[in-house]
Amino acid sequence: MKIRLNPIVKKDLHVTVRSMRLSWSLFAYEAALTVTFLLALLVIQQANSYMGQGNIYASLIYLFPTVAVAQVCIVALYVPIITASSISGEKERQTFDIMMTTCMSPFSIVFGKVCSAVLRILFFVAASTPIMALSFVVGGLSWINLFYYLLAVILFSVFAGSIGIFASAFCRKSVAAVLLSFVLYFVIFGLSFVPVFLRLLFGSGNGGESMLILLGNPAVFFEEFFMQIMTGESLFGRSGGSFDADDVGLITYILARGKLWMFASAACILLMAFLFMALAAWKVNPMHSGGGRRPAKKQA
Amino acid sequence: MLYINNLTKNYGSFTAVDRLNLHIPEGDLFGFVGPNGAGKTTTIRIVCGLLKASGGTVRVGGTNAAVGSKAMKRLIGYVPDFFGVYDNLKVREYMEMYGSMYGMTYRDIARLTDDLLELVNLSDKKEVYVDTLSRGMKQRLCVARAMLHNPRLLILDEPNSGLDPRARVEMKELLKNLRSMGKTIVISSHILSELAEMCNSIGIMNRGHLVAAGQIDDIMQQLAGGSRIHIHVLSETEAAVRLLKEQAKVRVESVRENDLIITHSGTEEEICALIGSLIQNQVILTDFHREEGSLESLFMQLTGGAQ
Ligand SMILES: Nc1ncnc2c1ncn2[C@@H]1O[C@H](COP(=O)(O)OP(=O)(O)O)[C@@H](O)[C@H]1O
Ligand SMILES: [Mg+2]
Repeated sequence: MKIRLNPIVKKDLHVTVRSMRLSWSLFAYEAALTVTFLLALLVIQQANSYMGQGNIYASLIYLFPTVAVAQVCIVALYVPIITASSISGEKERQTFDIMMTTCMSPFSIVFGKVCSAVLRILFFVAASTPIMALSFVVGGLSWINLFYYLLAVILFSVFAGSIGIFASAFCRKSVAAVLLSFVLYFVIFGLSFVPVFLRLLFGSGNGGESMLILLGNPAVFFEEFFMQIMTGESLFGRSGGSFDADDVGLITYILARGKLWMFASAACILLMAFLFMALAAWKVNPMHSGGGRRPAKKQA
Repeated sequence: MLYINNLTKNYGSFTAVDRLNLHIPEGDLFGFVGPNGAGKTTTIRIVCGLLKASGGTVRVGGTNAAVGSKAMKRLIGYVPDFFGVYDNLKVREYMEMYGSMYGMTYRDIARLTDDLLELVNLSDKKEVYVDTLSRGMKQRLCVARAMLHNPRLLILDEPNSGLDPRARVEMKELLKNLRSMGKTIVISSHILSELAEMCNSIGIMNRGHLVAAGQIDDIMQQLAGGSRIHIHVLSETEAAVRLLKEQAKVRVESVRENDLIITHSGTEEEICALIGSLIQNQVILTDFHREEGSLESLFMQLTGGAQ
């Protein structure tokens, strides 16, 4: 069987590429990254001349995480905004109803929407790869890391997109959907630290398995990712060696070894993305949500 | 073709559709009439699988497919009452997108797109951006889109709202064409006379109830107990009145000089026969027409006044 592009992705690409907005947002994005790059360069140079010695090229390696973090932040902000308005946008036009009467399953509609947002952000990521590559050339990092980094960004944009689509399915208005996605961000990024803190404050110094919840936190994932790339070590210390088996639960202890945490975390994030999409698909299916919305009425 | 059985839809405590029973035979052009808020759109959305019914069943064709299942969706083409289009998308791409949503191959889509655009008279607009089309063209494009997967049942919700008279005529011609191609068509409207011209059967809905349904002529008679007819004769008024009074299904309402108004409770054929016998009896007719607007007054009477 021939693999076919999801019709929604194809349509969205047509529509996006022809819009003036894309050019402007691409420009703004490039500008933001370039400014970050130049600022980082300036800081590194200043620091170097201040210390008066050392090899400037060695410090330039830090250009990579700086620019990369900036990029990840932009992706984190932009992707949910695209997807959050996607389903509510179709609903406002009532084209969503027409889609639902075709043979597209709700999941493939939702998935198509996420894919087109990911592809759209990939335009940006691809356009900024030369800037990123520069930090590899002068910083002396292995090329393969650039590839891993791209994979991580794709993973993360799928995740961010699925949060947006989830919010979009549950909110009538696009603005509300965007707000809900950022609330979800706060829960996932911020509140997932709560068990660890509670354990540290009131526990007996033993972390237990409270850290496991952080597997689903993309911020921790990226910290670990950059740590591994820059130093070859885990956030949890050399090969997880800073933990004794008694300090933490057994599972955490095992996961903190080598690159295990990173992969487990990637799997968790992907799983969460899938869950968000599945929930969104369930929600938009009129056969499940009994209420049935009535779109804003036209002329009386 | 379409069987609706005891269909009910509640929005909270409000019943939008109340135990609706309806059967539409294959090949019908069925008009679904009712004032705004009667529950037409709700019924249609349920049939198309866009809304979950609170009770009752819907069957299409011989199939026992559940509402909203893929098998059911393949049988139905749906044109919603209001729809927007995408900016920056061409007519050809628009058709391609929906075609591939039915899993059709690009070659089939391209071939069908040509045929269907021809049918809806948009052949020259293939490479035009959809958002630049006029309202009537968009409406016809939407019909073409709904026909892409060759459904057996085509459902149009208020396709004439917002169209100018010319576009309405074009839409009417298009629907007649489609019917001659063997499609079963359901079309909703809040204007009875509009449907009476083209449908062969209608259902009248009010506040969630189906108040009348059947062949259009039957309904007309059933409702009014006949049609009001204006007759103008040149002379021989006496003879004409005498003749008319002899007819069983005719009631003479008023006679003023050479103008007569009667109500006739017979079929179209019997009305024709009446004209014939008038002429045979040397009555010279200069006018014989059904009272205009009587459809609307009937409709008002039936649906309990204006909303
Ligand atoms: N989502 C909804 N929630 C509550 N009431 C609704 C909803 N959708 C429709 N209704 C009500 O149901 C009734 C029937 O609406 P509708 O089917 O759109 O009528 P029609 O298409 O015949 O004009 C109306 O009184 C309308 O206010
Ligand atoms: Mg309606």
